[in-house]
Amino acid sequence: MLTADMYERAIEGDQDAIEEICLATWKPLYLFIYNKVQNREEAEDITQEAYIKSLKYLQESTFPIDNFLSFMKTVSLNLIRDRWRQKNRSRVSINFQEINPEDVARGDEQNDIAQRLLLESALAKLSQEQKAIIDLRIIKGYTVAETAKLLGKTEGAIRTAQYRALKALAKILDESAQKGQSNPKRRESGE
Amino acid sequence: MSNRNIEERLSDYIDALNNEREPESGAAEKDQELGKLIETVHKVRTLREPSLPDEGYPKRLAQVVACEIQKDKRGAFSKPGKSPSKSILKTLLPITAVAVCLLVFVLVNSLGIFEQDVVYAMEKAVAKLNNYHGILEIRTRNAAGEEWLVRRVELWYEGDKYAVKQDDGTLTVSNGQRKWQINHEDREVVILPLLPDPTRNGFDLQDEAKRAKQYPHTVVKTEMIAGREAIKLAISPPGGEKYYLWVDKETNLPIQLQTAMQKALQTTYTFVSFEPNIGISPEIFAYRVPEGYRVVEEDSGQLVATIEEAAALSGFIPLLPKQAPIRILAFQDRIVLDYGDTTIVESKASGEFKLEPNASLGSAAGGPLEIWYERLRWRQDGLEIRVEGAKRLELAREIAADLSIPDANQDLAGKAKVKVPVDMEIVKANQKQVDSGSSPWQLDPVHVALTFVNLKVTPEGIQGEPQIEIPSFELVTNDSVEAVVEVKEGPIERVYLKRLVRHDETGIWTVVGYDPR
Repeated sequence: MLTADMYERAIEGDQDAIEEICLATWKPLYLFIYNKVQNREEAEDITQEAYIKSLKYLQESTFPIDNFLSFMKTVSLNLIRDRWRQKNRSRVSINFQEINPEDVARGDEQNDIAQRLLLESALAKLSQEQKAIIDLRIIKGYTVAETAKLLGKTEGAIRTAQYRALKALAKILDESAQKGQSNPKRRESGE
Repeated sequence: MSNRNIEERLSDYIDALNNEREPESGAAEKDQELGKLIETVHKVRTLREPSLPDEGYPKRLAQVVACEIQKDKRGAFSKPGKSPSKSILKTLLPITAVAVCLLVFVLVNSLGIFEQDVVYAMEKAVAKLNNYHGILEIRTRNAAGEEWLVRRVELWYEGDKYAVKQDDGTLTVSNGQRKWQINHEDREVVILPLLPDPTRNGFDLQDEAKRAKQYPHTVVKTEMIAGREAIKLAISPPGGEKYYLWVDKETNLPIQLQTAMQKALQTTYTFVSFEPNIGISPEIFAYRVPEGYRVVEEDSGQLVATIEEAAALSGFIPLLPKQAPIRILAFQDRIVLDYGDTTIVESKASGEFKLEPNASLGSAAGGPLEIWYERLRWRQDGLEIRVEGAKRLELAREIAADLSIPDANQDLAGKAKVKVPVDMEIVKANQKQVDSGSSPWQLDPVHVALTFVNLKVTPEGIQGEPQIEIPSFELVTNDSVEAVVEVKEGPIERVYLKRLVRHDETGIWTVVGYDPR
């Protein structure tokens, strides 16, 4: 159980208190960040930066301790945004304008389930070959060479087919989103 | 990058995520279509299980966070309220950060975390290494302490391509599709087989980083290597000899490797100059025959896409493990299957199956299995199969399901009818003698048995040819610790030997018993 006293000590740099907080909270925070960046390297770095920034913030300001994890999630979203701006990376998956700290605090489980259903239904609309390529390359993580071997195609053909499959999937997802927007009642009930 | 088409850039992005690496910056810069596709890739990836950090991460995280908070409280090295712009795990090695962090580590008596960080930082730096150019010196030292320069080579490396220039100007190049050597003295270009590729072995930065992470290691000290400050790590492979790796403090990349003393020789690989992540001219890896040079091409093999193609070229169907190879190279007389860190070479079996005299013996496909350093060799269904590399056991067992390696706890010596007393002081002295390069026959159990048996026949000493010659001796068991040699003639039927000082290929054999005929 993380107590207020433990946070006080952590802010002062107490090694044991920081360790207890990190050990108790790192996994949900890491998984939250991983979900956004989709790679371990960045997720590890941002998790670390989020702890440092959050604890430093607490040195100067107050924040309800019982919401510390959701506070760190918000901090991590800001870090991802800064990082991607700096690196000119595409604003993938996150619309930062729409982020509401309270929503973050409530957690994204429901959103995750809804997005998963949406994705699965969109993937089902692809051709067998497109599904196979997305499954092998992105979900199972095979290389282009391995995928080419498994599907009996050249590497160039796999790159082209993968590009087309993702383009088709993006279109289906966009259409689903537009349908959702044009039917607010359904959207409300879905959320 | 900008000239490459969207399909390639998208594919590279997917590869980076699949490798759990941060994709290259600017991947989707000013390209809305690519941005949209990348967004879709991210969404699809949420369907798979997230990749979690290694077990040590939470503790390491806590240490670094504590270090940074304490640093901030003291007001040293960083401005109040300003968060670090870069990950500390990435920049831990620069001296200022190390100074502060070391203080914390000393206070908590926990050097282990620091050691993990050196290796962790090295692993990350190596993962980000796209290419390099450097000069590598290879020096050897014998057990008597004499050291000499074996060679000095200039290296260019990029992905699966490399070029190695020897002192005499001989240039060996592999561009992933083709391998060749330009020999200026003979004015010829020799086309070489792409696989197996021993040129690549030796000091491979990726392999070294992987091994350092995998094996127990400790930080020894900081030293200057080729004018650069480097952290010396002692790495202890389980069951193997300790060796040393030096990691450059500035780049976090390995810059020197010193092997353990093997067969009385120790090799040190040092990058006396090293430039990571630079622009390497594609010309370096381009196949061009200098004017006036002749091309020498024997059977350099041919990269093929399927086993059927390989079989058509080589005239036999190879035995295959369940795992598909990355590349297949077919020659007139053999087929090479490339699994990255492991290679399988198959050829039609011909003549007698001769074992390396000092190899351990196991069994595979109902016959003997030779175990020699990192190589397994046996015969099966009319083929001779060699599997060499890190995954040798796993792949070999997929071909020969009955493959068994010798059990080193058999107490074979206990079965000897006559025990031979051993003076350990003499054995240790003999081992030192062999380590320094003399009497190498003591590493071969058959030769040790031959000497022992012939001295029983002619106790006054062996004059000229031994009375009972080598064809009469057959190694029947060698589990790397104990060995049994059968003798076809003479007063002794069986000789029992043991490695009493060291149990690897550098350990000498001593007779510990025998069965009289």
